[in-house]
Amino acid sequence: MDESKQAQARVDIRGLWVRFGAVAAVRGIDLTAEAGRATALLGRNGAGKSTTMRVLAGVIPPTEGAVLVDGIDVRVDPLAVKRLTGYCPDVGGLVPRATPWEHLQLAARLRRLDGWEDRAQDLLERFELGDAAHRVTSGFSHGMGRRLSVVLATFHDPSVLLLDEPFDGVDPLGVEATLEVIADARARGAAVLVSTHMRDLAMQACETALVLRGGSTVATLMAHELVGEEGAGVYRALLD
Amino acid sequence: MSTALSWTELRSSGTDLGALLQFRRTGLSGSGRRRLRIAGVAVALLTVGIVVGPAYLGGDIPRDHSGRLLAVLPSLCLGFLVLASITAVASAGGREIIPREEAVVFPVSTTTDHLGALLLAPLNIAWMVQAWALLGMTSYALGPRQWWAYELPVLLWILAATAVAQVVGWLAEGVRRGRHGIAVFRVIVVLLVLVGATLVVTDRLTPLLDRSPTARLLGLALDGASGRWSSWATGVGALAVLAVGAAVLGALPARWALHRPMREELRLEAGRHPARPLPGSDLMMMLRIDRAAVWRSVPLRRGLLVLALMPGGVALAGDLEWNMLTILPGLVASGAALLFGVNTWCLDGRGALWRDSLPVSPRIAFLAKALVLAEVLLCSAAVTLVLAAIRAGRPTAPEVTALVCSTLVVSLQVVGAGMRWSIARPFAVDLRSARATPAPPVVMAGYSARLALVTTVTGLVFSGLAELDDVRYAIGTGVLLLLWSAWRLERTAQRWDDPVTRSRVISVVAG
Repeated sequence: MDESKQAQARVDIRGLWVRFGAVAAVRGIDLTAEAGRATALLGRNGAGKSTTMRVLAGVIPPTEGAVLVDGIDVRVDPLAVKRLTGYCPDVGGLVPRATPWEHLQLAARLRRLDGWEDRAQDLLERFELGDAAHRVTSGFSHGMGRRLSVVLATFHDPSVLLLDEPFDGVDPLGVEATLEVIADARARGAAVLVSTHMRDLAMQACETALVLRGGSTVATLMAHELVGEEGAGVYRALLD
Repeated sequence: MSTALSWTELRSSGTDLGALLQFRRTGLSGSGRRRLRIAGVAVALLTVGIVVGPAYLGGDIPRDHSGRLLAVLPSLCLGFLVLASITAVASAGGREIIPREEAVVFPVSTTTDHLGALLLAPLNIAWMVQAWALLGMTSYALGPRQWWAYELPVLLWILAATAVAQVVGWLAEGVRRGRHGIAVFRVIVVLLVLVGATLVVTDRLTPLLDRSPTARLLGLALDGASGRWSSWATGVGALAVLAVGAAVLGALPARWALHRPMREELRLEAGRHPARPLPGSDLMMMLRIDRAAVWRSVPLRRGLLVLALMPGGVALAGDLEWNMLTILPGLVASGAALLFGVNTWCLDGRGALWRDSLPVSPRIAFLAKALVLAEVLLCSAAVTLVLAAIRAGRPTAPEVTALVCSTLVVSLQVVGAGMRWSIARPFAVDLRSARATPAPPVVMAGYSARLALVTTVTGLVFSGLAELDDVRYAIGTGVLLLLWSAWRLERTAQRWDDPVTRSRVISVVAG
């Protein structure tokens, strides 16, 4: 892989605060995600993982702090940031009465993609959604919905891939396909952020992990430090 | 499956209903509860005023129009039953106290569901206005003497008709959920429409209405007014039995219907929608997704069909004149907006977060939603007006102008209100079930009252302008009102431009 890509910071967050009224969901998080690397966001429910993801996806504006994606301030040019990112939200993520193909058409049209059909078809097949491409998504199982959300996040080859709970309720083949997608994204120089409660899978996919608690960062660890029984103990200690 | 219905079950369902209402109440903020109390007191006071007030308006009894008002009372009572039944059938048996997705974690029996739907039936402005009209006109016609005795039968009829309509709604839903239910239901509807059309065309509707069983209600009201207590008490007792009986026995068809599979919803979800070529612009692609969200939703398809055909059919049967048609577009537009337009972003459901992460200007997203709403309103109003125009004769130029202006103005007013409320008070709802609504029932009642007030007043203004010889009055008024509504819509669009507001709406509708 190109060394210059490796060193490039795709995501640079400094002192991020997100408040909803009186409640602060994120309290001063710092985070850097480099090209070609995958970072896991770990923590209990309400730790601020999904909110951080939403800020990076341009869906929620930061209350305070600097959030740069490929050097672009999300507050100044959210549309440019949305072009650079691919986002798999933690809840649903699918328009209930549209088909997967219509989702892909919408994304392709708004992202100005040409000749996207073959890649879209290939991804649907890899995630075993080829037969369901023209069915409305409201009839999908939870796992099918998750798999399609990963397809939608990745199919335009984003510079920053944001996967929020991509393994939740997904069968082993779907997990495998998702891990391949993460590996592919890293190989082409994208930065990947994975938020999940599945520590083992996160460590399989990522090199580093950021552990959040109560909206703040409590630790930044290498993946090997959180692997196995010993890693489980380390992680458990960080959650309390 | 047992079809027995015990008092124990009824009692326990009543208790469960109380618990569900309490659960609903906990979802309201402090100001929401205050607004609800104020609205409840206002409706109660208004009802008492309408029941008693017209009786004391002064003048000799019987009044000039008493005879004419009392003559149409039986037909209006029958009309109340018919419209309540159509509402119950269109809403697949009735509204839900709590949405289906939330209810699955609670052991809610079908009897509780039935009682909840019955309780919510009056929470719409069409039901209230009709009930007030029946009570008010009886009060005006019969005067202050023993007003309670002649109003009681009318009130009991309103309750009985609502309960009977609920039974009709469950039966229709049960039929619709059968193996060939949708086809059977459509055949029944077509036959009913043909029978109705034949009666109108052959001028046999009025003689038939004169022989309506509801004519006995008039006799009962007159018994009360003139103190014939024996026959009055018998009639009132019969009405009370009918009301309670229909309310209790309605649990049986409810159980039958609700235990059958939701075939129409499942058919839509399992259906395939072949790919179409990519449209030429971002807006057209956004519109395609939003249109799919409307036309692939069972409650929206059903509601729009009823709204497009029913007012037009009533106008056709009632032989309305052109100057009165100006009220219809407002009625239809309000109803259509209440199907999804008051919470427009719920069309995206849980996909709202992903959709908002796509690189498109917020203005285009706003415009797509507003356009989809506008085209739905205008199409429904157009179908209604075409039907209504069939028997309205040849219009004058001011009448046509006033009608066109009225349609455009109320459509823009309703789009503006819908978009404004969608941003101010979003709700996470899934419009999958035919019984789903875009906002909680109490909120819907408030929205329907506000929309009905604004659009009816506008319709009446243009009705008056249709009487003038010069079309310039209608055009001038129309342009002014359009500019005002457009300015308000632009202010709403500016609010949508704010990323904080947008993120709040998106996060809420995505659940």
